[in-house]
Amino acid sequence: MMTKLTAKLAAVLFGTTLLAAPALAEDFVIGVTAAQSGWLATYDQPSYAGFKFCIDEINAKGGLGGKYKAVIDVRDTRSDTAEAVKVAQEFADKKVNFIVSPADGDPTMAMGQITSPAGIPTMTFAGTAPILTSVGEFVFGSYPGDNQQAAVLGAYAAELGYKTAWLLKSPDSSYTMKGPEYFGQVFEAKGGKVIGEGSFTLNQPDFSAIVTTIKALDPQPDVIATWAWEPDFPAFIKALRGAGVTTPVMGADVLDTPTVRGLGDVVNGIVHTSGGYPEPGSKHADFNARFKAATGMEADTNYVVNGCDIALMIDAAVTAAGSSDPKAVRDALANLKDSPGNMSNFTFAGTDRMPLRAVVLAKIENGQKTFIRRQLADPATMPKP
Amino acid sequence: MEVFLQQCVNAISLGGIYALLALGLAVVFSIVRLINFAHGEVMTIAGYAIWLALLSSVPVVAAIILGITVAMLASVAMERIAFRAMRGASVTSLLITSFAVSEIVKVLFQNGISARPVPIVLPAWMSGSINMGFLTISVMSLISIIVVAVSLVALSVILTRTTLGVAMRAAAEDFPVVRLVGIKANHVVALAFAISGALAGVAAVLWVAQRGSVDPLMGAAPVLKAFIATVLGGLGSLSGAVLGGFVVGAVEVFLQGYLPESVAPYREAISLSIIIGLLVLRPDGLWPAQNVNRS
Repeated sequence: MMTKLTAKLAAVLFGTTLLAAPALAEDFVIGVTAAQSGWLATYDQPSYAGFKFCIDEINAKGGLGGKYKAVIDVRDTRSDTAEAVKVAQEFADKKVNFIVSPADGDPTMAMGQITSPAGIPTMTFAGTAPILTSVGEFVFGSYPGDNQQAAVLGAYAAELGYKTAWLLKSPDSSYTMKGPEYFGQVFEAKGGKVIGEGSFTLNQPDFSAIVTTIKALDPQPDVIATWAWEPDFPAFIKALRGAGVTTPVMGADVLDTPTVRGLGDVVNGIVHTSGGYPEPGSKHADFNARFKAATGMEADTNYVVNGCDIALMIDAAVTAAGSSDPKAVRDALANLKDSPGNMSNFTFAGTDRMPLRAVVLAKIENGQKTFIRRQLADPATMPKP
Repeated sequence: MEVFLQQCVNAISLGGIYALLALGLAVVFSIVRLINFAHGEVMTIAGYAIWLALLSSVPVVAAIILGITVAMLASVAMERIAFRAMRGASVTSLLITSFAVSEIVKVLFQNGISARPVPIVLPAWMSGSINMGFLTISVMSLISIIVVAVSLVALSVILTRTTLGVAMRAAAEDFPVVRLVGIKANHVVALAFAISGALAGVAAVLWVAQRGSVDPLMGAAPVLKAFIATVLGGLGSLSGAVLGGFVVGAVEVFLQGYLPESVAPYREAISLSIIIGLLVLRPDGLWPAQNVNRS
């Protein structure tokens, strides 16, 4: 009995030792923080699914840059910034080659304060606050920034003939606060006028008071713009339409989800930005098909394909660097120009490491996302972070 | 004036939901001295039950009844599985147990269904509004107010006109004496959890109808507000919980409606400061229970 137990313990210890063993010289270790619970799981889970899928594809073709096997060390941050910071320190101590941080600017900035001085390139899954790269030279975005999205959306609002806008913001995150402000700047630069704004807290229980304020406005705004996400946006739009307010609403890429599209008539006509649109025959559509065939899951948000594109960005950087050295990879990544992605091509050269990528304008009609157009933000009207 | 009246309607509608949840917390606390933070997850369970029922093409009314029933059963099951074993434990131990139950349920939904919200589409007429002179009331606000009123009256009847209801009120005053006169403790406690679950179920119906989606964390924010309401009303006091719910709802709505834009970001802090101020003036709550042992 004791012999068997000892043997089992020895086997477990041996296995643990193997797991804890340092990576092989040709391994390229990527530390990934992906919330499996909490509010960020909504974005981190699909992002990680796409990332893992494409890292596996790259490994099957010989690895990053054709020679380095990508090894993922994934940790659950539980959507807790303090946990993300703790994990960042562990990754820095472990001297991983690259870090992928959560799909939000705030934890990414907190992590970047450790990883950037440690010289480890760090890329957010989908954080779009353009200020996130200001933390350090090693911090990168992956998705079109809020100012890029606002430049496209604000210009489109003016193009539609809207003269006045009302902004719904939340100071609880840089995304929900700055996004509408960028929209307002572009809208006013194009001749529109912001006539008011309201403030909400994340996960706010009720929007009836805000809606009453909007309804009492005289004259009514031509458009309402918000960067609110789930579950706040569904609660807001239900309350707004429930009160009989029919003012057009515009939003950001967070509205590009089956949950929002599934809300029924209340979301009909809503225009939002998006990172991509899978036109038939496109690389995006091809990725979605491959992903579904391999995993059985629909890539029903752009976070999946963007997760894959992060793997492609790392691959392109390692290929250009010809090395797994974090500093060389960082420099190569920062100089990529029009590098091919599935969702859209990406350019870091000449930017502050928030990639310049095409923004899609989409409209929700009868529960479907319909394509309006795809365009790059005009640098002349893009608000400064 | 119209805007003020509209905000009053909003305050009653939101306060009513808080009152239902606060009452659910107070019913359980008054008997077993448990502040059940898993109460919000009972709401979430009801929300997912409604979602699943609608997904299976169950008619809306049947789905709503199913949601409330599932909430009742879930609440009773929580008592049987997690809290009964801890009966008689300290308030702190019970509190930690309720946090554990809450976390387990959340993670089960996040990994079993999705971390993302799922949409709940109710009939279009429920998203409409009704013109009442110079007031336009959304159908859901009106339904909320009516449902809250009916629920409070029904609970009052149960507590005053039924044997178990009277036993529950007596247990809230002095549980050992109730047991001495031959009433089974398990029955009283189970009834308290069933009523608490039903109230959470009704609140969940109103919540998902107004918000249009359900997610694993749905119950966390409202149960926190409900807890604040029960403390404000007076821990262990059923009437106080209802009053506390309406006060918290009114403070939130009026601050949201009338704070200048420059100080609006501090709304939550101002709201909680007002509540702390009220508790400083009335430390036992606005409508304290006659006999309650505070920890």
